[in-house]
Order: sequence, then C-alpha cells, then structure tokens
Amino acid sequence: MAAPGSVTVALQVAEVLETIVSRCVGPEGRQVLCTKPTGEVLLSRDGGLLLEALHLEHPIARMIVACVSSHLKKTGDGAKTFIIFLCHLLRGLHAIREKEKESFTSENIHTHAWHWKNSCQWKYIAQALLMFQTQILDGIVDQYLSRHFLSIFSSPANERTLCRNSLELLLEAYFCGRVGRNNHKFISQLMCDYFFKCMTCKSGVEAFELVDNCFVELNVGVTGLPVSDSRIVDGLVLHRDFSIYCPADGDIRMVIVTESIQPLFSASKSEFILNSEAQFQTSQFWIMEKTKTVMKHLHSQNVKLLLSSVKQPDLVIYCAGLSGISVVECVSAEEISLIHRIAGLSPCALPQVSSQCDICSTALVKFCKPLVLRSKRYVHLGLISTYTFIPHCMILCGPVLGLVQQHESALHGAFKMLRQLFTDLDLNYVIQTKDQNDTSSPLIYKNSRENIPLPEIDKYQDIIVKKKDKLEKTQNCLKVYSNSVSSDIDLETEIPCSISKVTPTDTFQTDETLKCSSPPKIWKINDHELLIENNSTENPITENTRAEISYENVQITDTARRGHMLLARSKLLTTHASQDHCSSTMPAGCVLPVGGNFEILLHYYLLNFAKRCPQSEETVVSVLIANALLGIPRILCKPKKGIHSFPLLYLRSLQALQTTQPMISGQAGLESVAAKYQLLTSVFQCLTKILTIDLIISIRRQPQKTGNEDSEEEF
Amino acid sequence: MSRLEAKKPSLCNSEPLTSELVRGTLSVLKGIVVSCYGPAGRLKQLHSGLGGCVCTTSQSSALLRNLSVSHPILKVLTTSVQNHVSCFSDCGLFTAILCCNLIENVQRTGLTPSIVIKLNNYLLSLCTNYLKSDTCGCRLPVDLSSTHIFLCLVHSVLTSKPACMLSKKEIDHISALILKAFLLTIPESTEDHVILGKTIIVPLKGQRVIDSTVLPGLLIEMPEVQLRRLLPVQKSSTLKVALFCVSLSGDFSDCGEGTVIVSSQVSLENAVLDQLLNLGRQLVSDHVDLVLCQKVIHPSFKQFLSAHHIIAIDRVGVTLMEPLSKVTGTTPIGSLGSICPTSYGSVKDLCPARFGSKSFFHLIPNEATVCSLLLCNRNDTAWEELKLTCQTALHVLQFTIKEPWVLLGGGCTETHLAAYIRHRVHNGTEDIVRGGECSQTELRLLAEAFCRALESVATSLEHDGGEILTDMKHGHFWSAPAHPPSVLNWPELLSRCGCGLHNSQEELSWSVLRSTCHPFAPQTCLPQAPVGSASNLTVDCWTAKLSGLRVAVETANLILDLSFVIEDRN
Repeated sequence: MAAPGSVTVALQVAEVLETIVSRCVGPEGRQVLCTKPTGEVLLSRDGGLLLEALHLEHPIARMIVACVSSHLKKTGDGAKTFIIFLCHLLRGLHAIREKEKESFTSENIHTHAWHWKNSCQWKYIAQALLMFQTQILDGIVDQYLSRHFLSIFSSPANERTLCRNSLELLLEAYFCGRVGRNNHKFISQLMCDYFFKCMTCKSGVEAFELVDNCFVELNVGVTGLPVSDSRIVDGLVLHRDFSIYCPADGDIRMVIVTESIQPLFSASKSEFILNSEAQFQTSQFWIMEKTKTVMKHLHSQNVKLLLSSVKQPDLVIYCAGLSGISVVECVSAEEISLIHRIAGLSPCALPQVSSQCDICSTALVKFCKPLVLRSKRYVHLGLISTYTFIPHCMILCGPVLGLVQQHESALHGAFKMLRQLFTDLDLNYVIQTKDQNDTSSPLIYKNSRENIPLPEIDKYQDIIVKKKDKLEKTQNCLKVYSNSVSSDIDLETEIPCSISKVTPTDTFQTDETLKCSSPPKIWKINDHELLIENNSTENPITENTRAEISYENVQITDTARRGHMLLARSKLLTTHASQDHCSSTMPAGCVLPVGGNFEILLHYYLLNFAKRCPQSEETVVSVLIANALLGIPRILCKPKKGIHSFPLLYLRSLQALQTTQPMISGQAGLESVAAKYQLLTSVFQCLTKILTIDLIISIRRQPQKTGNEDSEEEF
Repeated sequence: MSRLEAKKPSLCNSEPLTSELVRGTLSVLKGIVVSCYGPAGRLKQLHSGLGGCVCTTSQSSALLRNLSVSHPILKVLTTSVQNHVSCFSDCGLFTAILCCNLIENVQRTGLTPSIVIKLNNYLLSLCTNYLKSDTCGCRLPVDLSSTHIFLCLVHSVLTSKPACMLSKKEIDHISALILKAFLLTIPESTEDHVILGKTIIVPLKGQRVIDSTVLPGLLIEMPEVQLRRLLPVQKSSTLKVALFCVSLSGDFSDCGEGTVIVSSQVSLENAVLDQLLNLGRQLVSDHVDLVLCQKVIHPSFKQFLSAHHIIAIDRVGVTLMEPLSKVTGTTPIGSLGSICPTSYGSVKDLCPARFGSKSFFHLIPNEATVCSLLLCNRNDTAWEELKLTCQTALHVLQFTIKEPWVLLGGGCTETHLAAYIRHRVHNGTEDIVRGGECSQTELRLLAEAFCRALESVATSLEHDGGEILTDMKHGHFWSAPAHPPSVLNWPELLSRCGCGLHNSQEELSWSVLRSTCHPFAPQTCLPQAPVGSASNLTVDCWTAKLSGLRVAVETANLILDLSFVIEDRN
C-alpha cells in the first residue's frame, strides 16, 4: 500500500487537528477530558498531551505529533499554536498549487510522472522555506521586530531585576492558555508568589533548571479539597512519613545515609563461617553494640534527623528513638539529589559515621516536623539553602486528581517557559543588498550586536566578498580550512564547533573570524590569495577591517538548492565573534503583548520585505508565511465582538505601524518572543519534513521498540 | 519480553454535554443520589451477581465506591464527590446533588461557558463570604462549654442515615456514646497544641444496638481459653508494659548479602533461644508485667514468661501498634539485646471483658486519649453502615472543635442562602457588572439558575410528595404533608421548620418554593433566645458543607468547560 504524500493529504490531516486544537487555544479555550486505558481521567488544555492522547493512526498525523512533542521538549508551550500555524501554511501552499493546476489543466497529465515532478517541486519549495528561515527571518526579527520588544526586566540588561507586575502579566497570559478558566488567575498568582519566594536576586537560569528538573519533588498534590486551598509552604516536603519522630527544636542537624546503619551479618561476596553458638551470639551482640555506638556518636554530633534511602532494620529505628533522632526511611534518590543541590549535603559514608571523628557532611535545618495533608502524613523539612534557590513547596489541591495533575504540568511548563525567557537567543542571518550594478550580488555580513555602536556596522559593509571560484573549489577550501584550524592554536576554542557541521556559508564565517583574531597575515590557500589588512592588532574590532576573499560563485542560495545546505547555527564567543559573523542576540527577557501582536507585526514586516524583494520565490515564501501568521490572531479573536474583533484589530495595528505610532493592545498580558520565535522555526522544520515526503508506504511489521512513531519510509 | 502492539486510535467527542446520552446518564445519576438524600431517603441495595455480600446503603461514600460509572464525565463527578467525602466524611450527597443541579440548570440558560464560569465563581464567592461573615443568618456559633450543639450535630448525622436502621431510642443512645468517645479523645492537659486521640471502633455483630458501649483504653480480642490462662496476676499498683515491634519467634532472617556457613554441630535455634531467654531474664529483673508483641513470640519464650508471671500477648498487628504505644506510653522496642528502661510504659489495670460472644483483653490506661467504641448492630450490612456513620460523626466533631460553627440543617441553609443571593443580585449593582465583565441580565439569569440549584437540594429532602415552602422572613425550609385537607391554613399544617429553630406560630408568611417568588431580604441576625432553648435542632458541619459547596461549584464549572472528551480505547 502506497499513497502519495502531498500537501492535500497533509492539509486534510492538519485541518482535523486544527478543529480540535482551536477550541482549546487562548483565553477563551476550553478543557478536554481524556481517559486512559487504566480508567484514569485526565483534564487538559495542553496541546501536546491532547495530541498524544488521540493515538492517531495516519502517518502524517503521527509525524506532526512527533514534531510537536520534540518542540515541546524544548519549550514546554505552543503545541496548539504549532498546529494552527502549520495548518495555515499548508492551506497557503495548497492554494498556490491550485492556482498552478489551473494553468496546467490543458496538459491533463495525472500520471505517475506528473506526480514525481510535482513532488520535486514541493521539495524545492521546502528548501526555499528553510533558506528563508535560516537567512532572512532572523534578520527581519532583529532589524524590524526588535524595536517593538519590551523587556520583562525593569532595569537594563546587566542588572536584571524583575518587577512583579510584569511577571504577573506574563504568567497570567501563559496560564490563560493552560488551565481552566476558573483557576487561571489563582494559579498564576500562586506561581508568582512561588517565584518570588524561591528566587533571590542572584538566582539565574540555574535556579530555573533546578525547579524544572526537580519539579515533582517540589510539589504535593492533594485531592478532595477546593483548588483555592492550594498554598506554598516554606521548606521541603518529603513524600514520606517519619519512621520515628522525636520532636526537637533549636539546632537540628541532619545526615543522609544510603545503606543500612546496622552492620550486616555477612557482607556481600564473603563467607561467614559459624563454628560455635557462642560465636553467633557474640557477633549478634557486636552488631547491636556497634549500632548503638553509631547512634550515640550521631547524637553527640547533635544530629537530630537521619534520612535514609533504604529501609533500616528495627534495631536502628529503636536506637535512633532512644537517642532522640528522627528517622525518615526510603527517601527517593531524586529527593536526595534535590537536598544535595539545595543544601549542598551529600550522603555520608558509613565508615565515617562509625569512626569517632567529626562528621562533616551534616546540614542544619530550621525545623523538621510531620505535615498532615488529608490524613496522609509527610515530612516537612526546613532546609537552609546554600544555593540561590530558597526551597519552598507547592501544595496543589483540587477536587479530582486530573485537575491537580493539570495544574502541576502547567506550572512545570511555566518554569520551562521562564527558563527559556531568561536565556539569550542567538539570531543568524544573511543580508543581501540590493546592489543593482553588481550582478554577482555581493554578500554583506552585517552585525548588530548591542555592544557595538552603529557607525561601525557600516564599516563592515566594506567587506565585500568577491566570488570568483567555482563551487567545487569552495569545498576544497573547506578542507584546507579545517586543516589550518588544527594548526592554529589561537582559534581552537571557537572553530571546532562550526567545523563539524560546516556548510559553505559557515566556512565563510569561520574564515572571517579567523581573520579578525589573528595578526595580519597572508594566507595562501589553493593558489588564491586572501588579503587581509588589519591595522590595529590590539583591538580586533577595528575600523578598517577589509578582507578581500577571492571566490567565485558562492551563491548561497544556489548551494542550498543543491541540497548541500545543512542547518547550522554557529555559536561564537562574544568578544570578537561579533565582527563579521552575521549573528545577533535577542536579549533575555524580550516580551510582547499577547493577543496576536507578534504575528501581526511579523506579518507586516514580512509583507514589507516581500515588496522590496525582487526575487520572486522569496516573495512567494514571505507572503505565504505572512498570511499564515494571521491565522493565529484570527482564532484568538474569534469570540470577541466590536472593536476587539479581528478585522478591526488588524486594521488598527496596520495603521499604527504605518504611521509609526505605538500599537495598542486590547489585552493585558505578555508573552515571550523567544518562545514564539522558536515555534516558528519548529513549524518550518515540520513543514519541510512533510513537503519532502513524496510517498507513504505502509509496511506490515510489528512496531519496533525504538522507532514505533514512524512507520513511513521515504524514497 | 513485552509485546508491543499498535495502539487503537482514540475516540474523540466534541461538546459532550449536548449529547442526549450524557444528559441521560447524568439525570440517572442525579435520580440515584437525590432519592438517597436525607432522613427519609430511600435505601439502595448494591449487590454483585458474582457473589459477595449485599450492601444496603444511602450514604454517598458506600454508594459511589461500589457504583461503576461508564462515562468519563460522570467519573469526574463521582471521583470529585468521593475525594470530598474522604476528606470531610460528610456532605457527599449534598455535593453530588448540587453539582448535578448546577450542570442541568446552567445548560438550560444557554449562556456561553466562559460567562457561566465567571459568574458561578462570583456567586460562589458571595456564598462563602456570607457563610464566613458574622452576619450570616444560617450559621450558629458553637458553645464549647456545653454539649448541646455537639449532641444535635451527632443526632443530625445519625438521623440522616436511614440505612443504619435505628429507632429513636437507639439514635439517642448511639449519639451519646459517640459524644462520650469523642470527649475521651481530648487530652486533659491543655498545651498550646492539642493533639486529639483516637477512637477505635470494635465490631460486635449480632447484638442489640443498645448494648453498644464506650470504654477508655484498648480492647484486644482473644479466645476465651487463652484469656483464662493469661490472667493469674493480681496486682494493686500499675503494671509495667514492654511493647515489641521485632519478632520474638527466634527466626534469623536478616543475615546480609554474603553466605553464612554453619557447622553441623552448631544449632542456631538454640543460640537464638538463648538470646531470647537472656532478654526474658532482663524483663524479669526489670519487673515487667505485660509483654506485647506485634509479631510472633516463640512458644518456649512464652512459657518462660508465664513461668515468671509475665503476661505475653503476641500477634497484635501493625494497626494496633500506634494506639498501643499511646495507651501504654511505651516506645516500641526493636532490639533483642539490652532494653533501655525508658522504653517501658505502664497501664493502670487490665481485665478480661466479655461482650456478647467475644472475649477481650481490656487495657485500662492511666491517662490516655485512646478509647474503644464497641459497636453492635443486628446484621453485617447495618453494622457497616453504622460504622461509617459513627466515623463520619466523629470526624465532623473534630472539624467542629477546630472551627466552632455549625450550619442550620434540614434544608434551611440552602433556602436561606438562595434567598440571600437572589436578594443581593436583584437589589444593587454588583462589582462584576460594574467591571463590565457581564451584563445585569446575564447575572440575574445565572443567579436564578444557581439559587434554583440550591433550593432543589433542599427539595430533595422530601420524598413523599409533600409540599415545600419557604417563609418570607427567615428564608427557612418548611415541609407540608402530602394531600393536606383544604380547610387548614399554613400555621396549623406546618409545625417547625427544617432545622427546628422556628415554629409556625411566629406570624410568618409562606410561599411555595417551586413558584417564582419575589426576592426578599432574609433576616440575617439570629435571635439569641431560641438557640439555647430549642431542644432538637438539626445542624450540619460548617467545614464540610462549605467545602462541599465549593467542590460542587468547582466540579460543575469543570464539567461545563469541557469541549472534548477523548476516550482511549486500548
């Protein structure tokens, strides 16, 4: 069984998914109830979960779902928008094809040959799309869109103070799309409180990473209580009960052990030969005495709490009770690693405990007491943090487990989103000047990193690359470069990363980095001269950097069409990378108002770009993307009436943009630009995948353990 | 090797609430819970065709636990109610009925879910604020120095469970017992942090309910023969107790991960027994009178102990360990070696006790917060129901001592609250309207649906076709018998309102609850006089009902917000 993979099929699939997803998107979206085969009931507005729950059969649908989930792994949000945007792109492509078909009808070739030709054409479009994304989109975002960006930080980039108000706006907008309508305000407040309680001014991205990784340990779900009973408690709540609890106050020290304190009768891989009854009794006696001494020693060290990752024998518990030490057994490895990360306390080795010396691996806790939540008992631990994260626990209540889980995953996603928002995003792009005289259309690398004042940028435009070489020779150069790099110590640090996934474009960039960090030299490569003039050796960011690199015909668009183009995003170090490398950074904390602002802005600038752009296929692609982008605000505004309806909103925004007035947003709330941007790139990749498939063949084989997601194969 | 199979695609239904099937099943469920509600509620018999005992009940916890619901939406509703009940024990049926009513009524209004949820939340906040405020007209403060309200509360809980099959006299008896048991769990010494003790319910089936009793301390059941053999001790002073949590059977289970090689002439059993006897000698020298063990005691060791006039009881079980250590004040001993003297505890006395066909060993504590409630009922089903009811009552008492208020029962809270909301919405503009989030009409429409839902909870108390009325002064619930003779006027026909606070001779005016009545302001402040004097008030637990109200509205909102149901059919 084989079916042609085409845009029409993909569109049908995506449209079905869109109808489901579009009802859950945005602030007016509604809940979905999923049942599991085990009988559990799950409530969700999470697009990713929803798509997974559908257990789709269609191969293209499965591929889309796989793409969405890989996107979610990175960002934790945007599954629904993903589907809507993808669907609109497909719709646009479909419309283009329909138009072409009309012109073709006279020929009337619906044969197999026609199909092949057709698919080649899709592949061509896919590559143009990818090209657009890697080389032009970033530029538009950086040059035009960035002037509309707001920052979540109240003070300049170095300080990064976060004001509560803007975080509230951001979170509220996020939870609008993730939890039920009656709870989103409450949950976003809870999250906001949690954030400000846990994070100090020093905590950076690592603190988010910690919360992201250990989220399960940092919250407790309680069913049967109203959601509004959810709260934040100071310290850590372990999902265990005390084996023995001895109330203590004042200086409470804690140790962690990972094995039984009571010495075992016989160690593993050893033999214990019993020759007499007395021997047995003495060894039993010795074990008891040993255990008691350990406990006494711990007591003398002021240890009042013992966490154990294993079950301890009754004797240990008894002795601990006599020494006034509380014991918690079977603490999970995750909880121990969390304690380790927060308090810097690592499990102590037993020989150390047994010997009479001081135990170094103890930690001070403020309090340790039982916590009863709905007749289940937990251990409540007042850890003192040695880290930038101040431990707090969330107690999430809800009438049903499904709702508690929904809130839990939404909160988890929010931390993922914040983690991403707090990191910089690199943008790489190529700008093609509209130099009408030069037929070879010189490439100009432009840089707009913030620390470089604008006038300098103009200078870089001197770096004109003349292309004289043939393409094959470029690849020769590539080899040479990699050789030269290995010999050059100066450059080792930065270049290997780009070498590995090198493309002709990248080589270019490597080359230029090379130039700026090394003293003036003349490189001789393949009989071509690289003339590098560098006047100031001290400062790599010089006034007069000029490079004349002799190449011919390194038309990047061309190479891409031949399929040599790989996706590569080179990350170069800050100091000198900047110079010629066409990269820029979207600083951490960039936000835009919600409600389709990002989409409308990008739409506007893409259309502008299309007008200026002479090349027809880029125009087609940018118009396609621009129109598809509008689909998102259209759905978001669907339930609204009057001045908030989509056509009016759109008109208003366009007018504002044309007259360069500030845009007025109907809604309060902010969203991360980086997340939106990543969504776009993920969708483009997914679309390329769809377009490059020409035939779907179903095979009769039991799904394998590893790749049971994709059963389609590509020819 | 696990076999991987291709998963079947799921079934996806949009707008589940509009489907006839869902509506039908919802109304069936509603029918079941409504018919169980209140003192006159009808009983349900649950039985499985595969065997097992038949369960006769009218309680939500027993009913919903055994009911298997098919549709996921119903599952959300029932689990939500069950979770509420497992937290608060009481008000399960109230929550279920209110939730069903809300879903039904709101759907009839035809408003969009987003506005419904906003308004429902708003109305809920009006209710909770009112119930928490001091001007609340349906909340009574509890006088902790008298048992009157507590007794009323237990009484109301017992009367609302008809499946216990209790007569009036039996209800009085059991409520007194429950209250007594509860009082025994309150510690005498007043610290800043009061920890309540525990009541252990001991089953005694086949006896008359009147024979039930409460005893301080613990009862350990054992055969009579054994009991007679155990009791030679006659001591005037308190008895010293040792409580073991390790096995005293002389087994040697934990020998580590390595290999132990035992020479042929060595007898491990003797070695362990020697150890046990050493332990026994220490117990004797420490003047221990009673040895209790969670696990098994070796027969020879038992022999040794009884030879030294020490009573040994083994196989106590893990559930009794905590109360035992509380009653006796011991630390459970986990060692076969030397025992620290601080681990011993004491009991005042111990005596054999016979109740019905069972014989017990009764530990009488010096001062402890543990007591045993010997509960009798004629048959298994009724006993189970009574046990659940007693647990509910004890739980409700604990809540009431924490938050000392009760709500008027017998439907009066619901009608009063409905009257309050209706009046509030009709007179004066609410903040939510002023904020422009909805129109006045929408608010009124939904408030009417909300109030109707509350009122129909009250109406569900009537199962015999009687007329339900509300008075226009207090907004209380009045029930008139079915088919009244036409000549009578209301004051003569009605005697007391649902909660028993007001009688019909107070010059009130009534209106039928089902009719559209003009909104009126219910009197908010309670008259002080009748609260003390009225002998038989019906009251509900404030904490449980408030939470039930919140859970019901939250769950209804959740269900109304559903736009898809995805069923995994694997």
